[in-house]
Amino acid sequence: MAFVEFRDVCKVYRMGDVEVRAVDGMSFSIGQGELVVIVGPSGAGKTTVLNMLGGMDAATSGTIELDGREVSALGEAELTQYRRHDIGFVFQFYNLVQNLTALENVELASQICEHPLAADKTLEQVGLAHRMDNFPAQLSGGEQQRVAIARALAKNPKLLLCDEPTGALDYKTGKQILKLLQDTCRSTGRTVAIVTHNLAFTQIADRVIHVREGRADHVELNAHPADASTVEW
Amino acid sequence: MRAGRARGSAFFKTIVRSIGGSLGRFCAIMGIVALGCGFYAGLQMCGPDMRLAADVLYDGTNLYDIRLASTLGFTDKDVARVSEVEGVEVVMPAASCDVMVRMGSEQLAMRMSSLDVDVARASEEQGASAVASSDEGYVNRVFLREGRWPRAPDECVLCADKDVAGMGVGDTIEVLYGTTELDDVLKERMFRVVGLVSSPNYPYTGSFGSTTLGSGTIGEYAYVSPEAFVDDAPFTELFVRVDGAVSLESGSDEYEAVVDEVRARLEGQGDSFAQSRLQDVRADAQEELDEATRKYQKEKRKANKELADAQEELDEAKGELEDAKAKLEEAKTELEDGESELGDGERAYAEGADQLASSKDELDAAQQVLDESYDQIQQSRLELEDGESEWQVGKQELLDQLGLDAGTSLEAARTHVEDMLEELRDGTAQLTEGIQRAQAGIEEAQAGIEALKGAVAALDAQLAQTADPALAAELGARRAGMQSQLGAVEAGLAQAQATKEQLERQLSALPDPSELEQALEGIDRLEETRVTLDEGARKLAQGEDEYAAGVAQYEDGVDRYNDGEAELEESASKLEDARAELAKGRAEYEDGQAEYEDGLREYEDGRAEYEQSRKKAQKELADAKRELDDAQADIDAIEAPDIYVLDRSQHEGVMAHNADSHRMNSIADVFPFIFFLVAALVSLTTMTRMVDDDRIEIGTYKALGYSTARIASKYLLYAGAASVVGAVVGIAVLCQALPYIVMSSYGIIYTVPLQGPPFAVDAVVVLLSGGLGVGVTLLATWAAVVASLRETPATLMLPRAPASGKRILLERVGPVWRRLSFSWKVTCRNLFRYKRRLAMTVIGISGCTALLLTGFGLHDAIWDIIDGQYGPVYHFDTTVGLKDEATEDDVQKVVAYLEQTGAVDNLVRIQSQNMQAGTAPDDTMAVSVRVPRSADELERMVTLRDRLTKEPVPFDDEAVVVTEKLCSMYGLAAGDKIVLYEQDAIGNVSGKGAELRITGVAENYVAHIVYVGKNAWKTVDDDEPVFSTIFARTQEDEAVRAGIADALHDFGDVSTVAFIDETIGMYRNMLSVVDLVVVVLIVSAGLLAFIVLYNLTNINIGERVREIASLKVLGFTKREVYAYIFREIALLSVLGDVLGMVLGSFLATFVVTTAEVDYVMFGRQIHPLSYVYAFALTLAFTALILLLMRGKLDKVDMVESLKSVD
Repeated sequence: MAFVEFRDVCKVYRMGDVEVRAVDGMSFSIGQGELVVIVGPSGAGKTTVLNMLGGMDAATSGTIELDGREVSALGEAELTQYRRHDIGFVFQFYNLVQNLTALENVELASQICEHPLAADKTLEQVGLAHRMDNFPAQLSGGEQQRVAIARALAKNPKLLLCDEPTGALDYKTGKQILKLLQDTCRSTGRTVAIVTHNLAFTQIADRVIHVREGRADHVELNAHPADASTVEW
Repeated sequence: MRAGRARGSAFFKTIVRSIGGSLGRFCAIMGIVALGCGFYAGLQMCGPDMRLAADVLYDGTNLYDIRLASTLGFTDKDVARVSEVEGVEVVMPAASCDVMVRMGSEQLAMRMSSLDVDVARASEEQGASAVASSDEGYVNRVFLREGRWPRAPDECVLCADKDVAGMGVGDTIEVLYGTTELDDVLKERMFRVVGLVSSPNYPYTGSFGSTTLGSGTIGEYAYVSPEAFVDDAPFTELFVRVDGAVSLESGSDEYEAVVDEVRARLEGQGDSFAQSRLQDVRADAQEELDEATRKYQKEKRKANKELADAQEELDEAKGELEDAKAKLEEAKTELEDGESELGDGERAYAEGADQLASSKDELDAAQQVLDESYDQIQQSRLELEDGESEWQVGKQELLDQLGLDAGTSLEAARTHVEDMLEELRDGTAQLTEGIQRAQAGIEEAQAGIEALKGAVAALDAQLAQTADPALAAELGARRAGMQSQLGAVEAGLAQAQATKEQLERQLSALPDPSELEQALEGIDRLEETRVTLDEGARKLAQGEDEYAAGVAQYEDGVDRYNDGEAELEESASKLEDARAELAKGRAEYEDGQAEYEDGLREYEDGRAEYEQSRKKAQKELADAKRELDDAQADIDAIEAPDIYVLDRSQHEGVMAHNADSHRMNSIADVFPFIFFLVAALVSLTTMTRMVDDDRIEIGTYKALGYSTARIASKYLLYAGAASVVGAVVGIAVLCQALPYIVMSSYGIIYTVPLQGPPFAVDAVVVLLSGGLGVGVTLLATWAAVVASLRETPATLMLPRAPASGKRILLERVGPVWRRLSFSWKVTCRNLFRYKRRLAMTVIGISGCTALLLTGFGLHDAIWDIIDGQYGPVYHFDTTVGLKDEATEDDVQKVVAYLEQTGAVDNLVRIQSQNMQAGTAPDDTMAVSVRVPRSADELERMVTLRDRLTKEPVPFDDEAVVVTEKLCSMYGLAAGDKIVLYEQDAIGNVSGKGAELRITGVAENYVAHIVYVGKNAWKTVDDDEPVFSTIFARTQEDEAVRAGIADALHDFGDVSTVAFIDETIGMYRNMLSVVDLVVVVLIVSAGLLAFIVLYNLTNINIGERVREIASLKVLGFTKREVYAYIFREIALLSVLGDVLGMVLGSFLATFVVTTAEVDYVMFGRQIHPLSYVYAFALTLAFTALILLLMRGKLDKVDMVESLKSVD
């Protein structure tokens, strides 16, 4: 039983008379504790997958399951609960609340969960113990992303979803973030899904899902993923 | 060119699109500008529109410009005099009087004026504000609303604009009394209502004017035909229209200038008017008085004559009575005399009877004596005859002896004897004497011889010595002479001796006398016997006479006895007669006495009656005289009339309307300020947001080479379009709506008809408000744009660095901060992050609250007039006033009635007097001066207390407590002095006033009242106050009250019966105007709140879409998202709300004091509940807006969180 299961998931957007099939019969599965990279070119439907997996958008057809729960069948309110308790989301542009300090941004998430991790501990974990009381504007991009990751982790989610986590970062910092995600996956056994267009990330993943034109083109499994610090792109 | 045009049109398209794309934003600016401009212009126009409407009405009805009033009235002559004054176009005289009338069960003061009904009938109403008449002299033209014009003197038309006691056509009103003697003014007392009218002279229905009657306010007016007034009643007022004033707006400076000029002219001639009027009045009055005096004199003469006649009659009666009395006295005396006579008679009769009996005895004794004396007489006669014969013998013997004839009487014998004896004695005596004489001669001759012998011897001696022959011769001669003498004397001596011897011899020759003496003795004896005999004879004769007399006497006695007996019998019968007569006389006397007494009583009665009528007549005459004197004094005291030249500014109703219109302007100056300020802030924030949104676009344009001005013009055009549209819409709508609402509201108390819609709009006001609105918006826009435009295209292309988070003060309070949830923290930080938004929201919301609070505060202030006055201050609900001339007894009766109705729990008596009060005679206010009969009692009906502390203000007989508003108007406080002045009929100060020291200031809302203690009052007026006004508490039950009112009105002296419920009802009606204003304020406050909050929310959401999306992604529930965003807005609302409380307090105070009129004090405290309402209502607005904005939040797509920062 896979931890995450996509079966024949379709997502159709209707824009006036035009029907856009963003996801068209996507099927894949992810095992628990895996570091998954969903990769594909722009417009392949990876963001839609992310949205549906993150509970931000509902599938038009097909089923999505997470840890045995059929996410695709949830109502709006249940989806909110699902996002709240089961998903940790890391945005490309961090999306930190500018008006809260690093710690507070973490707490923002932890305070709404049932079993949160300690916010300060989580920040320590991402290496920001010393910047806890800084506002996002006082932090570098990498540091902000670390806060964002800490925020996602603090919720103690079943699945950590990352949308181009290094997209706004320079290479070096990006690598550090990638390393942090990998380490997190390894050390906590948390399932982490990274959505990216960068094929280089596939090296560090346990499972790589190639998305193309709304389908899971193919899935490759790495028996020995590379360490994130060694990845070059 | 082409490119430029193409570029221009493309640019223009972006503007149009940007409007379409952000309609909310556009509408926000448009709305706030519309509100600001509309309110400003609309409120600004209320005043001018009101004044214009009034002017249209005044001009259309030919309302007077100047009104002349005189304390002595006017005549046709005065009318002519005034007409001649330069600038006077038309003069209309009118008679009027203030009277108390009874209308149904109500009694109130009414002003009754004469109206030329023929002219009125001929006039034609043109719309709501004009009456056309061919008679230019028809001033104050009246609209007939219902019924018809009066025809008969006992018909009237009443005010149609106000329902007074439900009076309508067909009802009857009764005039009870007036400010002057009604008989001098009105012919009729009962008037039938034949129509209802509306007069421009009474535009204010709250009060048709002031009077000295009743409550002091004229509650109704009526027009009657001039025939209703007595024929010689003077005109009381002259209404003047001024040349050229009609073309100017009433109350404007130009109008005032034109009218003032004529007014000054009239005032200048006031004295001459007054003097001529004085002369006329005096002459008339004097004539009347002279007539009355003549009548009085005539009456007096007549009365005096009548009295004199009566007096005479009485005197006559009295004389008769006295005569009768004298007669009665006489009769009485007579009776008494008769009685005593009768007694005498009876006594005499008894005496007579006794006498008769004794005389019988005497007669018997006399007969015996007579018999005895007869015997004695016979004895004596015998003895006498014996003695006679004896005497005769003796006599014969004697005569014989003497030798005399027997017949010689004894007398002759005696004489014979005595003569012989005499002769003898004489011879003896003569002889003796001769002897003696001879002796004496002898002696003398012897002495002479001796002397001569001595002298011869002496001569011889001398001769011897003398040698002188001559002398010797002589001496010899003398000696010879002496010798011869000696011889003679010696011869005489010898002769004397011879004589003597002869005489002595003769003497011795004389016979002896004794024989003769014996004879004499015999004669004596005889004579003695003769006497005894004669005596006896005489006695005898006497005895015989006596006896004869005794017999005669006896016989007389017998006769007399017999006579006496007869007489006695006669007198006995006479006595009987007398007795009967006497009895009859007494009866008659007694009748006469009774009659006399009756007459006397009658007379006394007549007398008393006479005295009474005399006194009465005298008193009446004296009274009449005094009245005449008084009248004369009055005439002499008539002063030149005060002539008042009053213009419309002294017309209560016109001025009330005018003042209210200006009040609207004052409010108009303040209210819109809030809107403009908010408009500026809304524009600033909105445009700032817009510019921020357009950063990249701006950068692009800049990069493309557009000039800064051109780029800025996009935003200026955008804001300009929004503000211009807003201004046009706002002004167009509110310039009609607000005047309509305000004037309709005022229509409740003013009869001035609306001149619209459409209402006149002043271009200046429109341009000013529009300019302000647009200008403020553009300024704010420029401020928002200019900062961004200074940046280089490159920086503009980059996303704007997000405003960094900042620590706020609250974080220093660790324990509190730590307890706050992240969303609270973010809210708190956000509050201070966007200062413009904070300012906009706080000011906007506070403006909203302030408006609400002002509305509620105004409502409170105005309703507090009633709620504060009636209950907290006044505890009575009924006022009963008696007429001025009522006496203590009259008041007592009313009090007794009130007490015995049982419906009255409690009452307090005061003296209430309308006066003027102030600090100087030229600056006074009408006040009611109340002197309670008992200082302690007053608090039962009136609470005197401090408004703020609620501490009671002490009141005693020395106290002078003044109500708060009056004090504040003159800046007075306890310890200061206030002057009370008497006022005349027109309400002007008269007299020099009385100064009182204020002892306390008391809370009061309606009217100005000075409470004066009894003792303090004495310094104002010497007269003992009459406490003829009664404050009482009656039962709530209306039927009971109506009964009490009816009963009280039946007391002739009761002038006023007022139930406070009715007063309150009247006020409520008047004050309901305010409620509409409050509604306007609430609506505008709501709009303000909506615009501000909509704009804020809009901006907030727009700016934080990403954040919101992220939160959603993080699993925030809807509610948590709302809370996260709205909490901030709500908090700002609360902040603005709180600030609005403060702002609103000031604004409300300003509006209240601006709106306040002189006569009342508005409530000064906004009720706590109003704060609650204002606060809650603002929050409710906020909640409503947030509720509406939820959809917008819901619409935020989580996908936004994934987008790149643009």
